[in-house]
Amino acid sequence: MSSSKTSADPILVIEGLQKSFGGLRAVAGAGLSVRRGSLTALIGPNGAGKTTLFDLVTGFARPDRGTIRFDGRAIAGLPPHRVARLGLVRTFQLTRVFAAMTVLENMMLAPPGQPGESLLGLMAQGGARRRIEAMVRGRAFALLKHFNLEEKSQDYAGTLSGGQRKLLELARALMTSPQMVLLDEPMAGVNRVLGRRLLDYVEELRRSESVTFLFVEHDMDVVMSRADRVIVMAEGTVIAAGSPDLVRNDPRVIDAYLGRTH
Amino acid sequence: MSADFWLGVGVTAGVYGIFVLGLQINVGFTGLLNLGQAGFMGIGAYAMGMLVTNAGWSIWAAMPAAVLIAVAAGLLVGLPSLRLRSDYFAIATIAFAEIVRDTFQNAAFAGGNQGIIGYDQEWRDTASWLLRQLAHIGLGGDTQLPLFIVVWLCFGLCLAGLKFLQASPWGRVLRAIREDEDAAAALGKNVLAYKLQSLAIAAALAAVAGFFLALNVTYLYPSEFDPTFTFLGYAVLVLGGFASYGGVAIGSVLLWSVMEGLRFLHLPLSTGQLGSLRFVLIGLILILLSMLRPQGLLGRKAEMQLR
Repeated sequence: MSSSKTSADPILVIEGLQKSFGGLRAVAGAGLSVRRGSLTALIGPNGAGKTTLFDLVTGFARPDRGTIRFDGRAIAGLPPHRVARLGLVRTFQLTRVFAAMTVLENMMLAPPGQPGESLLGLMAQGGARRRIEAMVRGRAFALLKHFNLEEKSQDYAGTLSGGQRKLLELARALMTSPQMVLLDEPMAGVNRVLGRRLLDYVEELRRSESVTFLFVEHDMDVVMSRADRVIVMAEGTVIAAGSPDLVRNDPRVIDAYLGRTH
Repeated sequence: MSADFWLGVGVTAGVYGIFVLGLQINVGFTGLLNLGQAGFMGIGAYAMGMLVTNAGWSIWAAMPAAVLIAVAAGLLVGLPSLRLRSDYFAIATIAFAEIVRDTFQNAAFAGGNQGIIGYDQEWRDTASWLLRQLAHIGLGGDTQLPLFIVVWLCFGLCLAGLKFLQASPWGRVLRAIREDEDAAAALGKNVLAYKLQSLAIAAALAAVAGFFLALNVTYLYPSEFDPTFTFLGYAVLVLGGFASYGGVAIGSVLLWSVMEGLRFLHLPLSTGQLGSLRFVLIGLILILLSMLRPQGLLGRKAEMQLR
């Protein structure tokens, strides 16, 4: 293992990131870094630019200025599918499952570069294609079992509850064997029990597969108890970053977000 | 009510069937509102006709070449217009189809108002040979039979090919794009590339439908490719059902049976009135269907309604 792969090294580095929509400066010179293998929380008041930052990192919006480096590569301005293929995948604030496809199909769709996904591959590589399809199916079932969705595998994803959809979206993202996952409010609209289970999965995957997670969350108890690092945004910039304890007592953070009673 | 008449209706239904298979892969499986299908059909048919009459090609060589030309047109149209939001894409495609038709109407190389004739001699020879063979097994006499057989054989082959594609991981990506293209892109799928492939396949199917139309009517004329053809194609699509290739055959046979069968009711109406009445009737059927069975005859309700 080279020195650049140690756990303290940053996997995602953002510098001077700016994005305006008309007259609104959604992200105004944000800079941050996320450590490889960490479970980092991104917090801040509504309108702080968290979701826009996610959009910029994952290619759904083009930055006006600034650099984004993922695993040493400049990725600012790459289209979403190219970013995803580098191993950086996201979930959405409003959960996006493929409603009129089965849960299993949602899962099996995800792995990139399947030979059967191209017309040429369909014509050329019959044997390899079926082998890989069987492998993908096996992995999908294993993950569904892990997330307690196995019995739903043949149901349309559109029939799942809100919480189950969140689980499916996370499981689907993991099917891509990502290096890093961005979770936009993974617990929004999910009951606390299911939400806690979702975070248990996240922690477990971080340990077993050394996946890096960056997640937006508003529940401070969750953030403080689960994250090992917290980044705070307000008005389009990063105003603080550090351990939960450090951030909790930072006067700027208290002023901008947490409030004095905290 | 001769057998040849109904064979003729069957040929028309088969031509529309192949045409609508292309619409189905776009609309039902990719979520692309392609309103320019008649334009691709026109390009395919005219390319074949011109390669035979102007360039002296054999019709059997002209057909695959014309499919490739239609595919190229699909890619050319798709590359800029697929970047538009879906409703604007629909407008761009109908504009494309009208440009194609107006060009045929006014360009000397396409025969203008005269159209193109005389490309089908090789097919007629083949059809006569087929008729003689059919006579050996007691199926002679109906001059439309060879075209009927070839059209529906071709429909069957296209259907099988499309079903294979739909069951593959490739088809899975198409449906994911139909459901949510951002989520598909977030999983590393190149959405534009898949939409282009879907449109190119639709254009190829339109070209094949165009060949059979050209062989059926024996001359090519611009107004054969006006937007009505695409709109009737959508009626077939709605009748047969959303996201069902098999439904296309049923929808097309049903639509054309009603359209052509009405004349046997001996209603006290002029030809013009009868022509209008059949569209009234089709409209009524579509309204009833949308109330009673919105997914169409073979469509999947869940795939239409789940969000």
